[in-house]
Amino acid sequence: MNAVARTVAAVPVRTSVQTWEAIAGLLAPAGSPERDRLDAVTNIAAILITAEYTRQAPIVIMPASGRRVRIRTAHGMDAIDALDGEIPLAASPCAEPGWTMSLPCGIDDIDEIRDALSGHPGIDVRDLTDGITVEETVSASGTAAWSVNYDEMERP
Amino acid sequence: MTTAVHVNTSTYATTHVATNMLGSIRSIIKGSGLNPDLLRDQWAALEHGIATWLSSRHLATVTLEVYHPGKQPTDLVGRFDFTINYGYYPGGDGDLWLDPDTVAYAIRKNGSYPARCQYRIVIDNTPGHPEIPGWTATTYRSTAGFTRHVVGTALGGGSLGAGLSYYTRSSR
Repeated sequence: MNAVARTVAAVPVRTSVQTWEAIAGLLAPAGSPERDRLDAVTNIAAILITAEYTRQAPIVIMPASGRRVRIRTAHGMDAIDALDGEIPLAASPCAEPGWTMSLPCGIDDIDEIRDALSGHPGIDVRDLTDGITVEETVSASGTAAWSVNYDEMERP
Repeated sequence: MTTAVHVNTSTYATTHVATNMLGSIRSIIKGSGLNPDLLRDQWAALEHGIATWLSSRHLATVTLEVYHPGKQPTDLVGRFDFTINYGYYPGGDGDLWLDPDTVAYAIRKNGSYPARCQYRIVIDNTPGHPEIPGWTATTYRSTAGFTRHVVGTALGGGSLGAGLSYYTRSSR
């Protein structure tokens, strides 16, 4: 199953918090219960964006059904260039319950961020130099274990 | 190592300085052995305040004030100031830059704080600044008996520069 990739303009086009708000806006409608889950991790995600971990490796969203979504942030001149190229997703992958998310993080911050996310089930953090292993629902009939193509994960 | 990009928009400079100044404060907190939880919990409010007051050109200084509760006669144990210079680059040429080495140098020279130390972020605005809900008036702890060390300009953008200095207790 293919992944959908998007790039969101970050600093200096947006502050770190505004960047996360833009990402959350791609993933779930404002005011929805699932959007509240995204809003609840704003401070944590903003720190990862400020550190540019989300430039180096993608935020990966596994919807309850449908294609995986990868979101990177663009910074500096790349952010200015990326702003005009931002494309909404065809569907909101976090609109329905059952989605999970993996946030990239540098090794110096990963213990702190993992602790901070302990109260946010379904949202995890990974070493940005690692790939991820995904178990994804592919149909109503069952689940399949996936192995991730790391080269594909690292593509812009 | 200094990284820089070139743009010609003061809004971008404001955003760049606001977010990366807060990121630098986080580096100081972690590098000084302080607990980053408080800063993380307040991140959105701090970034919003700093960006707003930078944009209105009222922001004068962002201070990380470190204290040891209960310590007498003063509980201040250290302080880092980011002082804003709105005319650092007259007619600002649009470069956005951050020098993490300047921050790292200040952390290294200052050393670590004892584990029980706490901190707060204090912002000094010039008169007439817009009010932001959630922010309250306060006063700095006295720096009597402390020496201020100027490190240099840590980041900048457009005409903006943010100079970093830190305080240590003076030798007796």
